[in-house]
Amino acid sequence: MKSQNKSTTHIKMAVSFGGAGLILANHAVAHMSRTLCAVPRARAIHSTAVCCKHQAARIRVGKGDKPVTYEEAHPPHHIAHRKGWLSQHTSNLDRETGAAERTVEDIFIRRFIFGTFHGLLANELVIKRRGNMLVVCALFTQKIPAYKLYFLIGYTETLLSYFYKCPVKMEVQTVKDKVVYKYL
Amino acid sequence: MEMTSCCSVFYFRNELAVLQALSSTVQRDPTASHYRFQDDPYLTPRTASEFKLFSLSQESGRNAAKYIINTYPNFFLKDYAEPHIPCLMPESLQPKVTEVCEAGLRELIHLRKVRSAVDMYDRLLQAGTVVSLELTNNLLDLICFYGDQDPVQGDQAEPEKTAEGEVVQDPAPRRKEGRFRKSDSLHRTWRKDNNAERIFHLMPERNERSYGALIRGMVKYGAHSKAFDLYTDMQNNRMAADVHAFNALIAAAPEVRQKYSEKWDLIAEMLKQMNKLGVRPTLLTFNTVLKSLLRCGPLSRALVLQVLGEMKALGIEPSLATYYHILVAFYRQALSPSTLSRTMLTTDLLHSMMDEISGKVFDALDPDDVYFFNYAMNICCSLKDLGLAYRVHSLLNVGDNWKLLGNPSREGFYYGSLFNLVCMMENIGVVLQWYRDLVPSLFYPNSHTMRDLLQALDADNRLDLIPEIWKDVKQLGLATVSGDLAEEVLALMARDEHSPEIQESFANCALAVKAVYGHGEQSQATLDFTASALCNMATILLAAGRTDQAWEILQLFKANNRVPSEKLLDEFLNSAKSGSNSEQAVTLVQMSSSFSLPATARLAQRVEQEFDLSEEQKKALQDVEATSDSDKD
Repeated sequence: MKSQNKSTTHIKMAVSFGGAGLILANHAVAHMSRTLCAVPRARAIHSTAVCCKHQAARIRVGKGDKPVTYEEAHPPHHIAHRKGWLSQHTSNLDRETGAAERTVEDIFIRRFIFGTFHGLLANELVIKRRGNMLVVCALFTQKIPAYKLYFLIGYTETLLSYFYKCPVKMEVQTVKDKVVYKYL
Repeated sequence: MEMTSCCSVFYFRNELAVLQALSSTVQRDPTASHYRFQDDPYLTPRTASEFKLFSLSQESGRNAAKYIINTYPNFFLKDYAEPHIPCLMPESLQPKVTEVCEAGLRELIHLRKVRSAVDMYDRLLQAGTVVSLELTNNLLDLICFYGDQDPVQGDQAEPEKTAEGEVVQDPAPRRKEGRFRKSDSLHRTWRKDNNAERIFHLMPERNERSYGALIRGMVKYGAHSKAFDLYTDMQNNRMAADVHAFNALIAAAPEVRQKYSEKWDLIAEMLKQMNKLGVRPTLLTFNTVLKSLLRCGPLSRALVLQVLGEMKALGIEPSLATYYHILVAFYRQALSPSTLSRTMLTTDLLHSMMDEISGKVFDALDPDDVYFFNYAMNICCSLKDLGLAYRVHSLLNVGDNWKLLGNPSREGFYYGSLFNLVCMMENIGVVLQWYRDLVPSLFYPNSHTMRDLLQALDADNRLDLIPEIWKDVKQLGLATVSGDLAEEVLALMARDEHSPEIQESFANCALAVKAVYGHGEQSQATLDFTASALCNMATILLAAGRTDQAWEILQLFKANNRVPSEKLLDEFLNSAKSGSNSEQAVTLVQMSSSFSLPATARLAQRVEQEFDLSEEQKKALQDVEATSDSDKD
């Protein structure tokens, strides 16, 4: 019994496979723990039944009281039709390398700016790479006085420049409130 | 498969040639703010103080980031850059070498830690090691440059404890700027029991560099006579000083002699010795000579041009500082506010100077270069010479000369004087063109400048532009600084008759001005109503036909304890008559009697004659007349 408990906890800490919801994963884990105790030291990919549903970057229609910006309202198949790209670099062209590194840098920059300009971001960041320069285009609300915004801008530009060893510039636009496209 | 390429190779003169070519195609954009700010209406500074505040906050953000980078360098060590960029790596400000040795001393000197370096040197001597001459000279340079105290970092300034002779730094509340205040170095003085002198005397052998360092340090921190003593010492030891030491001595010469002729004799003596020793003078030498000549009283005018001639004979190109000193020598008396000789300017030196330097490109070679443009523009203003001012301004537009204007406040003075001159001399079309060009991208005018602009509008009969100017005044934050601008604007609008559309716009503007007075929000400074302002406001509103609002203003007189003028009451009576409103007329007379105006009787008479009055109104009028008669008696 004790060994079973140990292996249960061990498996629960492992990465969850498959794309289904959380409840299904728990059942899968429980199922796995029973079968795997019989077969020691074997790992297999577990899959569940297919659920034909897209749910990436979509906001489902609700009661009608949730304000939603243009960016959020359009699902990803509208990119290049009604939406642009949030991250612009050339590593996805033919025979160019470094796409994964650029993506990781982008994620870091987005989280960094979300935290530094706390509660001020009105929309997703747009990150552009021109030459060796990183241009971060941000849309902020006017909740703090302008000189405080300048302090944060100077701080972010310098810190990111030293971090990524390249010039980082911010192009900031401010807006009174978040611009609502529709209510879902 | 390889492709053979027969590409032609393009050579560029330098790396920046392409960028410079591109930038030469673009002019300055007069509608944009300074490039250091973000291009957004909320983030654009509207007044001079906002300009300063925003740039300082941005700078302090950068300093905060530098502090974090230098405090936690392990996060910033990964090197993505190919080739390596040393300026984007964290710097270590703490010395790494801990034991007492020459390398440690070298490192401390490099990190500019004055006190620790002196400590280390003493410990080295005590341990018996012989410190090399070059290293000791470096140490002397460091001590003499910083005046035997550690250089002040922005966030580390504590008030100095008073030791004998040390200057107490004023413990002003330190903001996050991190700027090195220039005034700090000027407050330091050369102490008597100085580390530099002590180490100097301890040195087994000294060479010219040691003497030079000490002389320059003494002159920089005010021990002038000591510097000359040291120089005689040097001469006795048959050592030749270098050009920097001579520059320092020439700068110190006016301080150690009293009479003008003696001062000049000493400077000439120094120059002769330089010549004898074969030390070649530089631009800085001549500029220092000129600067010291300015302290020699009336000799300066005669000798300044000779010095310029010597410079040219030696083939040294003069910088803007040279021309600045020459201008001061000639125009100093004329520009000082105390003399009456403003009209006695008999020299046209500035004209000939502009002939010589028009079209030349200058570099920043001397810290005094930045004073030239301001001084020249000042002279043009007192000479009231617009053509000359335009020539000075065109010199500013040649090449990179705009960089020699100095910091933003100096720029503000320059453009302020230029704009004042233009307002005085040019017609309104040109004035407005300059206004649109300069404001607010290049300078933020103060209330004096706006008054000049209003006067120019008045002189050229373009009073219809006043509402726009008032909008600018409000945006610049000048409306509540002093009541003068608001009063001037109201007076100008109320003075004459205008066409109906203009009256309409004036009425709107008058209401906007009214909002500036009275009680605003808590944080805004507000002005008190004055009698003339209220009178003018009422006149403007009446002229535009807005009688209701004009009557509201009449009520404000009583509320703010101000007395309306008789002319105003006459106008109100006229408007009441045109509206055939006898009630208003009677109220008017009663109001005038409550203010005990001498015109009450006349007004009452007029009302009786011109209006059809009911019985009560006639009785009220008679009461009023009675009281006014009794007052007169």
